Amino acid sequence: MLVGRILVVGGGTAGWMAAAALAHKFAGTRLAITLVESAEIGTVGVGEATIPHIRHFNATLGIDEADFLAATKGTYKLGIEFVDWGRKGDSYIHPFAAFGESVDGVPFHHQWLATEGAGAFEDYSLPIQAARRGRFRRPDGDPFNYAYQFDAGLYAKYLRAYAEARGVVRREGKVVDVALDGESGFVRSVTLESGETLEAELFVDCSGFRGLLIEQALHTGYEQWTHWLPCDRAIAIPCANSGPLAPLTRAAAKQSGWCWRIPLQHRTGNGHVYSSGFISDDEALEMLLAQLPAEPLADPNKLRFVTGKRKRQWVGNTVAIGLSSGFLEPLESTSIHLIQVAIGKLLDLFPTGDWDPLDAAEFNRAMALEYERVRDFLILHYHATQRDDSEFWRHCRNMALPDSLAYKLELFRERGVVVQYREGTFLEPSWLAVYLGQHVVPRHPDPRAGGEGVAAALAAMRADIAAAAGAMPRHEAALGMVA
Amino acid sequence: MIRSIGIVGAGVAGWMAALALRRALPGAGISVVETEGPDWSLGPFGPGETSLPGFEAWLADHGVEEGALLRAARGSFSLGTAFSGWAGQEADWFLPFGTIGAPIGTIAFHQFAARMRAGGQALRLADFSLAAIAAASGRFARPSPDPRSVLSSYGYGLHLDRAGLAETLRLASGLQPAGGFRAFEDDIVKLQDGTCLAADLWLDCSGPAALLAGDHGWESWAEWLPVDRAVETWNAVEGVPPPYAHAGAFEAGWQRTVPLIGGQGGALLYASAFLPDQPGAVPFGQGRRTRAWTGNVVALGAAATLVEPLHGYNLALLQNALTRLIGLLPAAPGGPEPAEYNRLAASEADRVRDFAILHYKTNGRTGEPLWHQARAAPVPETLAHKLDLYASRGRLPVYDEELFDPEEWIAVLDGQGVRPRRHDALADAIPEPQLRAHAARIREVIIDAVRRMPHHGATLREEGLLP
Repeated sequence: MLVGRILVVGGGTAGWMAAAALAHKFAGTRLAITLVESAEIGTVGVGEATIPHIRHFNATLGIDEADFLAATKGTYKLGIEFVDWGRKGDSYIHPFAAFGESVDGVPFHHQWLATEGAGAFEDYSLPIQAARRGRFRRPDGDPFNYAYQFDAGLYAKYLRAYAEARGVVRREGKVVDVALDGESGFVRSVTLESGETLEAELFVDCSGFRGLLIEQALHTGYEQWTHWLPCDRAIAIPCANSGPLAPLTRAAAKQSGWCWRIPLQHRTGNGHVYSSGFISDDEALEMLLAQLPAEPLADPNKLRFVTGKRKRQWVGNTVAIGLSSGFLEPLESTSIHLIQVAIGKLLDLFPTGDWDPLDAAEFNRAMALEYERVRDFLILHYHATQRDDSEFWRHCRNMALPDSLAYKLELFRERGVVVQYREGTFLEPSWLAVYLGQHVVPRHPDPRAGGEGVAAALAAMRADIAAAAGAMPRHEAALGMVA
Repeated sequence: MIRSIGIVGAGVAGWMAALALRRALPGAGISVVETEGPDWSLGPFGPGETSLPGFEAWLADHGVEEGALLRAARGSFSLGTAFSGWAGQEADWFLPFGTIGAPIGTIAFHQFAARMRAGGQALRLADFSLAAIAAASGRFARPSPDPRSVLSSYGYGLHLDRAGLAETLRLASGLQPAGGFRAFEDDIVKLQDGTCLAADLWLDCSGPAALLAGDHGWESWAEWLPVDRAVETWNAVEGVPPPYAHAGAFEAGWQRTVPLIGGQGGALLYASAFLPDQPGAVPFGQGRRTRAWTGNVVALGAAATLVEPLHGYNLALLQNALTRLIGLLPAAPGGPEPAEYNRLAASEADRVRDFAILHYKTNGRTGEPLWHQARAAPVPETLAHKLDLYASRGRLPVYDEELFDPEEWIAVLDGQGVRPRRHDALADAIPEPQLRAHAARIREVIIDAVRRMPHHGATLREEGLLP
């Protein structure tokens, strides 16, 4: 059964990203791509903040950056600022870049740890120094990367226009029934409220939390990670902009969760992710409203979620992408990234006529690893804290960690070594930013560190970075919002 | 804090370790202890050693001038390994140090190759590799640093006489041997002259004998890699050596040939179950230490991992082991460094093991029990997964700590005649004429570049390595 027709079920960020990427990839072939969505069903619009990989996604599709930023009211993003995580009063930034440079063949962070009076770790990051000053320019041979913050609803709309221009057919309608093949268990068709039936060979389930195909029809099952990531609710609310436009997403730890702040050109996205076991919805809303930087622009949007992932994300001829495949809170802006990874792997393993089960098995293996590695990185933020001011933080500090994280943390705490791996999103600089930003200070740095001349080399790096950061234009100017 | 390091084994592994640690810990005292017998610190695989691309950078980092090394070690350049008799008694293929073909967008070259084959066109992947074509025509020049040039599409290894290599590394370390090994007891090495040597950290570079690390546990790979005898060989040969190593399979094993100036170093490697013992045969078992680093003793080289040298990886394994060790030098007693070192070392060794087994599992020789059994035998789970995915649609998953890139795995699979059942659906999205034009253009650019490359002999003469 060769794939001649693809049906994407659901038209949020995930659905339109998938449709656009498929349309691009199969341009000029006879593959027919249809997307069905219902205006009645709202989209969650996850992940207004992204990580740099999104640039690769856009570039592959041939999307022009200026055009895209204008259409999605996007801003540049140099990192994520974490406030009050390790201790109350803390602020550190996770940038998309390495810190400093190695000296005498010894990794930079060891030299920094071993040198007295070497300033703050963040003094050695050009993007952090630029972000602290509200400045931005695109890297011009500099070793840093950047991402965007944008209106996910507008992005979906933008990709819809892109996809429709490339032959994707959009159908309006609510799916009320899913028909399975009695023998293979494959999805054969979906039926809309209008009674119309849509058939396809490949189904991409982008229906959100419900998992219309992957769960409701195929009963795949869900692996919960709430014992490690106890947050289970969120309230989102936009407000007006106020003050300079930060090239940063902000994640501020609260009594039983954390609040995001994402500056766009026309508004600021805000939200509170919290654990209902430790705080009531009313308190959570109150806390969110109390810290809004300007007046709200809409009513609060309340969400419930279960952190974890679908046991398998590709079953038979159905591939779940986006919230239907799992949920990890957007603490490290990975929601859109995980959509992108899944799309990339689907294209990589695009089913041929014989539906070799190995394709699905490999997709599921690779996605599980991707999810688990992001999960571990998120858990680190909660666990590596000295906060003792609420039941929630005491729980996080004392919870048992997955083995895959425990040994990484232990190795860094003892010896300052970051465990590296080949598959996975976050590399050494990311782990370093969080470890050191949250006071996980190695007991013993590299015994080679701290030689003669290291202090002078570090001072020169600091000075270069401060000068380069100061010379960048303001973020608003880089966006062309001001002259 | 490490103040003193004792190294047992004054061969390639011992001196390379001494040089690396000298540079990493300039303040530490380093003693290198000689052991008896030939230098089997990387295995009893003959007087010639081969490196993978990247070794030249290591040398430069450690103050070893490549020209001086080549002169001291009868050295020549390598563009890869020729495998003959593996895919079948009469079949040859080449594993190059460099890329094969070029992708179109994100679609890998071998996927097009599969599509063109499905269309009835016969082709060999190596014909789209500059390194392979240059090797076949006996040419060599150093790669270009300009990423836009096709001359940047390959790397190179070195063929080196191991005695010359060891001596050059020793010279660069500025050290002299501390004496001959007699025994290791209670954390003390006793020397032949009766003196005792203490050290904070011991490196066992004594080869398969593993004089210090013999009790660190051993995981045997014999069920997958049946070769267990080696006869070291040396043939005096005049003239220009070819710019590649050779692995020639025969009924009971294979012959390794490393071309040097003035001769070929190598080894006859065979399975004792299928060939009566040959004169000078050295018995060995393939496998790895369960915990290469135990206590304050770290096994390196063949003392840690003993695997038949199919493609220049033994020197690379040592190089990576040293980098890993230096990054994890113990900072305090009882620290986590050994466990992490062992986790990484085991994982890297097991991937190389899989790479070696691949050559046996996919062999195409007929009518010979060794090769028949190797084909029929089950392989480790990790390799089975790779083989399954490749067979299914030419995909090659990579694990953490892989020494070889997917391209190199694919070159072996393709050379051995393994053909995926299907190719990537995306390759079908490119019109056939465009594919043919793409492939033809690659061939044209490569052949044109190779035509303008000097002969290996000319390069060797220019660098003063050949009269």
